[in-house]
Amino acid sequence: MAAAMELRCWGGDWGLPSVHTDSLVVLAYAKFSGAKLSVSPVDWTWKTLTASVPELVCGDTVVQEPTQILNFLRKQRFNADYELTARQGADTLAYIALLEEKLRPALLHTFWVDAENYSNLTRPWFASRSPFPLNFFIPSRLANVALARILVTRGEGLLHRISEVEGKIYSDAKECLNLLSYRLGTADYFFDNSPTSLDAFAFGFLAPLHKADLPSSPLQSHLRQLDNLTRFCDNVLAAHFSPDKPRLLPPVQETMDANLQKLTQLVNKESNLIEKMDDNLRSSPQHKPHRTEPKPCLSSSKNSTPA
Amino acid sequence: MSLAAEAFVSQMAAAEPWPENATLYQPLKDHQILLSDHASSLSVQAYLRMCGLPVQVVCRYNAEYMSPSGKIPFIHVGNQVVSELGPIVQFTKAKGHSLSDSLDDVQRAEMKAYMELVYNMLLTSELFVQWCDDATAAEISRPRYSSPYSWPLGNILAYQKQWEVRRKMNAIGWGGKTLEQVYEDVNQCCQALSQRLGTQPYFFNKQATELDALVFGHLFTILTTRLTSTELAERVKSYSNLLSFCRRIEQIYFDDKKLMKD
Repeated sequence: MAAAMELRCWGGDWGLPSVHTDSLVVLAYAKFSGAKLSVSPVDWTWKTLTASVPELVCGDTVVQEPTQILNFLRKQRFNADYELTARQGADTLAYIALLEEKLRPALLHTFWVDAENYSNLTRPWFASRSPFPLNFFIPSRLANVALARILVTRGEGLLHRISEVEGKIYSDAKECLNLLSYRLGTADYFFDNSPTSLDAFAFGFLAPLHKADLPSSPLQSHLRQLDNLTRFCDNVLAAHFSPDKPRLLPPVQETMDANLQKLTQLVNKESNLIEKMDDNLRSSPQHKPHRTEPKPCLSSSKNSTPA
Repeated sequence: MSLAAEAFVSQMAAAEPWPENATLYQPLKDHQILLSDHASSLSVQAYLRMCGLPVQVVCRYNAEYMSPSGKIPFIHVGNQVVSELGPIVQFTKAKGHSLSDSLDDVQRAEMKAYMELVYNMLLTSELFVQWCDDATAAEISRPRYSSPYSWPLGNILAYQKQWEVRRKMNAIGWGGKTLEQVYEDVNQCCQALSQRLGTQPYFFNKQATELDALVFGHLFTILTTRLTSTELAERVKSYSNLLSFCRRIEQIYFDDKKLMKD
């Protein structure tokens, strides 16, 4: 299009063009749809404080929020979803909602609330990318925003405590990763063979979790077990974001890995179910905690899960 | 709780069959209950009817405070109390009743994704229209919410609830949205649901699942509730297959009960 488009976003690291989920979504979609964006990272500028990231500036219009930016790009005729059927378009909306509701709280928690990750990785990174004296309070402000978002959307009642919702958000996130993995199957992208906005959103959510050097993260280890999702991230990086000639990675051998994957997912599903039931029944006021020790039948149900 | 104790407790839940005296609690139907709560309650009622589980609906003005998670509706089964559709589906599954067993993994992923779409867009839009739109909040939501209580308690509780909802809207980024944008979101959501449903009787094959219950609860409530403006209902009415879907579910599962509100 005539007017040049400029995207303001956080800078990149760990092999990614940006470490910020929403910025990654926009960057990936721009690559998929062929839009030429000039990327101006807000690192080391005062925009880290004042601007809402990501932000697209095109001539006089300023657009914020990834969904709005994607709509704007579509109106400018950069449309990666052109070949989707109506039903696939509906599926896209649904899966994006799934990612937002189930995966985002856990990602926010992993990067911003979990004490070890925050102090060893997130805070140093963001502090080192902010100008003096903002580096003292930008990371903590972002952390407070993240914590508030988790508690307000997932906390129950007025007395919010993060420990009560932690278990639930992680089990939801693991289930969400499993569901994504089922949906992707063995394909390269979520719909046919060309990337769409759902791929952009999935990449934006999964890539930081996959590539960041997190000291403690059960969620990251769960993601690493889902080979097709990690392969998807690596594919997108290699095909669209590498400086040399784009080349798709060869498909991993299917049979053995598929079985292993199914087993892993089964284990995770069972533990999910137990955690969910525990939450329901623990929160029921009528239920009195039972004092007897576990019966022998439990050990047999435990044996059914693979070692 | 250790994993072993949890597994034992869930086995105990599974051991007892569904009793005859299960009750579902919701706020007072005529004067107190609001659009979003009525939608959630209707979804749970539809789901239980689809499973063929009998449940009595009881209206209490303090249902929200009795609920273990603070959300409506909740069911009281045996000596357990479970609230919200998600946990209730898990609970009935533990007792051996499930509607989504015949779905394969990809279909189950799709079902969960569409349920999240309804929660994310439809439920959030309902809450927005009720509490963040000043006209609706002043004329309908606050008077209804505070009706069982005497002044000034009613006023305080209503404003507290409004503050809580507005805080949530700000946290998820809906704080700056206008009413028109929210109606547009509802339109998009209905369009997605309409395209997914197509000409089928239910969303998945020929069998009702919890997604059908959830969609029915929300759409039926939007269609039959009187608000300050009919925009919300108009958006839903423009999709004829969704209208016939709601009518069909009402005829099949609710023929013995008059469902119209107001």
